[in-house]
Formats: sequence, structure tokens, C-alpha cells
Amino acid sequence: MSTATGYNFAYLDEQSKRMIRRAILKGVAIPGYQVPFGGREMPLPHGWGTGGMQVTASVIGETDKLKVIDQGADDTTNAVSIRRFFAHTAGVETTEQTADATLIQTRHRIPERPLQADQILIYQVPIPEPLRFIEPRESETRKMHALSEYGAMQVKLYEDVARFGHIATSYDYPVMVNNRYMMDPSPIPKFDNPKMSMMPALQLFGAGFEKRIYAVPPFTQVESLDFDDHPFEVQSWDEACAICGSDHSFLDEVITDDNGSKMFVCSDTDYCRERVEQGFVGTAADLPIADLSIAEVETN
Amino acid sequence: MAVSSHELIAGFADPVQASQQVFRAALKVMSEPGTRVEVDYVEQAPKGLDLSTWQLALSLLDPDTRVWLSPTLASSDAVISNLRFHCQCPLVEFPKDADFAIALNTELPQLAELNWGSAEYPDRSTTLVVQVPALSAEPFWTLSGPGIEHTRSLRIAGLPDAFRAELIKSRQRFPLGIDTFWCCDNRLTALPRTTKIEPRTTAIEPLNTEQEAC
Repeated sequence: MSTATGYNFAYLDEQSKRMIRRAILKGVAIPGYQVPFGGREMPLPHGWGTGGMQVTASVIGETDKLKVIDQGADDTTNAVSIRRFFAHTAGVETTEQTADATLIQTRHRIPERPLQADQILIYQVPIPEPLRFIEPRESETRKMHALSEYGAMQVKLYEDVARFGHIATSYDYPVMVNNRYMMDPSPIPKFDNPKMSMMPALQLFGAGFEKRIYAVPPFTQVESLDFDDHPFEVQSWDEACAICGSDHSFLDEVITDDNGSKMFVCSDTDYCRERVEQGFVGTAADLPIADLSIAEVETN
Repeated sequence: MAVSSHELIAGFADPVQASQQVFRAALKVMSEPGTRVEVDYVEQAPKGLDLSTWQLALSLLDPDTRVWLSPTLASSDAVISNLRFHCQCPLVEFPKDADFAIALNTELPQLAELNWGSAEYPDRSTTLVVQVPALSAEPFWTLSGPGIEHTRSLRIAGLPDAFRAELIKSRQRFPLGIDTFWCCDNRLTALPRTTKIEPRTTAIEPLNTEQEAC
């Protein structure tokens, strides 16, 4: 049960939820199209995931199990606050395990473990309009979407090729949804873009500041933009995760001391934990990782 | 028409949780077109409405949604009184003005009479809710598109041939279009505008009396 008193279940009032629910249904019916909605004030500032939270608040029910990640991690401030918020206002069960969660609210990552049918992935989106930095006027970008006039984005990617010899956009990489709408996948690394296509789970996107909701239904084609002679590529690393040895997940570079020593670790903490439990080890296995975590607890 | 208090029935016993559950059912069928779900959060519906239609209304309609009712429903005191009392939704005379149009399968408006949205705002279209005599997974229609991994079969009984043809043809106008919910007793399915419909071409035994060719 919810422990917060004086609030409706999951914080938002019922009429706001209904309005958001109707926007979600339209978003699902028109994949990739940004549906305007009446964004509500949430008890934390814009930029901290208010869009994703409003979507989560409208979708979540008593039987849901919520996971919240921030850059792949379950234990960063944003993730912890939002998870506690819903544990407090909706009384739902929370989890850090991707496989157990029915709802996953995410900031800037898609979990490494493939999502299943009937899971819902809810993205926090800062700027929903992929064309915004090319065309600042909403009236114009509306028309560009209406006419499917996306040449300007190809030009932007081409400028990358002309300047750097390759497409240098590494996150927020524009995609075409169901061959019709250009969509901003929120600032996930382009490493995650291929996971969006034909995903068995439903993907919902909420932008609180810009008041837009959009969606990608399960098993929907999502294609990253590219050129015939410069095909879309994802990042790769020469290193493997120092903790679990994974050479196929998205890695964060972590500076470990003042001398510039560094290690690479999985950005998806749950995936890394799962691999360690399965017996995988990385190069840091002989490093005093356990001591590190104790030190962390003490400084907390 | 004013609210007749003797026609009023109870809505959801737990409006917050039941609305959420019915929405999730609606979200499931809209994102996986042609799947059928059951919703059981009320014991009865106003005379004339199916249980699933009534639950959709309680979950999604409010003073912000203009609703058009097909003639039989629009002249039913029970339907109007309960929609007014529980949802407070304004009722409109023409389907074009409606955010939600609720119709019996025998009284369907022409799709062209509904609001298809505009090229800039295709989301401002009417959502059509139709009550039909039967929903099943018989392969009368083969569905494909977003939300469907390969194909899915669906049979919606009791639709006029002309309406079926119109619905299939309407896909050509994407992103404009009409999103539809199909209600039958406590069962619910949906076909958003993205779902491509392939009618069965070979002759089949009609399940009901009406001819199924389209």
C-alpha cells in the first residue's frame, strides 16, 4: 500500500492520468509521432525525468514491479529518487532486476538484457524533436513531419561525414519509426539504437518540459539513419568490463585515481551483477573491489 | 436529455485501480492489434452498452472528451444518463466533432464522417468504439503492422461489407486515420490506423448470417 497520505495513487490526479492515457493511446496508434499533452508539475524539476514520471504514474498499477535506471545504473541519484517516489506514492514493489520488472523507467539507456513481451520501457526525454537543432520553429518542424521532409537531417549527418570522415553523432541518433516518422530516441547511446527495432516490449517516451508523449509499439521497425556508403555503426571498445569481463555491453570509462588510471565497466549495473553471479570475471577481479564498495558505503 | 436518476447504475467499485487496469487492457490491445482481452471490473453496464464499452468509457472519458453516440445509444435514457453522471462527457450531434464515437455495428457512421485529424496533428482524430456481436481469432482478416510480429488473425462479426472495405482502404491515408476499439460483452480488441488488413480471399462458410466477403 501507498505510504504517502494526501495524494492520489501514484501522485497524479485521475483527470490528469486520463488525459495522459489518451495521449499514450494516440502515440501508440501513430508510432514515432509526438503527441502534445498537458504536462503537469511534478515535485522535482524539469530535466529530472518529469515526463517519464508522468507516463509511469499514468501506466503503473498496484501489481506492477518498477525498475528505474539512470545511465544504466539502478543506484544513481535520479534512479533512486524516482524509485522511492513511486514506492512511496503508489506503494508498488520495486526491483533492480531487468527480468523481474514489468515497468522500467529509464534515463539514457536500454537494458542489455533483451526485454520481453508485456514489459513496458518508459524513456525520460529532454528534447523530443529530432529536428529542433536544425529548425527551431515548432510550426515548421510540424510541417516537416507532416510532409515527411527529412532531408535536412541527412544533410546534418552528411556534414559529419564531410568533417570527420564518419557519422560522429554518438547519442540521440535519429531513427525512422515504421518508415514514416523521424524520432528522437532520447539521448541513448547509438549503441542501443538497434535494440529499439522489433523489440517485444512496448516503448513509451515522455518529455515533461516540452510536453510531448510518443511511443513505439512492440515489433515495430526502427531504423537508424545512414548512407549507403556510410552505414550505421555502433560503438565498440577494445577493452572489456573490468568487473564481469563482458566484451559486448556498453562500457563506462571510470577514472580510478588522480594519476589518470582508469577502468571500463558495464553501464548496466544489473547486467554486470548478473554476469558476476554467473561466474564471469574481469581483469579487476584481483583488485580490491569489495574494499571499494565498503569505502563507498562509508563516504555515504 | 437530462440525467434520469432511476437509470443510474454503479461505476467502478475502485475507480482508481479499475481505471488503470482497463487502461492497461486498452493499451495492450492498441499496441498489439487484434489481441483480445477481457475486462471485468463492473458487474453491469447501462442497457445498450456492452460491459467492455462501459468500462472503456469509465476509464477514458471525462469532461474533456466530446462523445458521439450512434442513434440507438443516443436515444437511450440509460446510456445518456450514465455517461453524463459518471463521465460528464459532452455529447455531440455530428461524428466529425467527436473525440470518441461509440456505435453499434448496425449503425456505423461512414469513416469519412469522422474526424481523421490533420497532417500536422494526426492525433486529433476520432477514436471509434464499435460494439459487435462476436470477436474471434478465426482467420477472416490477416493483420500485420506495428505491434504484430508476423501476422495475427482476427474476425470481427457483423460489419457491413461497405464499412469493411472503407476501413481497409483507410490505411492508405496514414498518418491520418481512425483508431478503433471493438467491444463484445466483456471482451475488447483494437485496430489502430497502422494495422494493415488482408481480407481472406477464398470462399468460406459464414459464421453468422451476414456475408463475409469484402
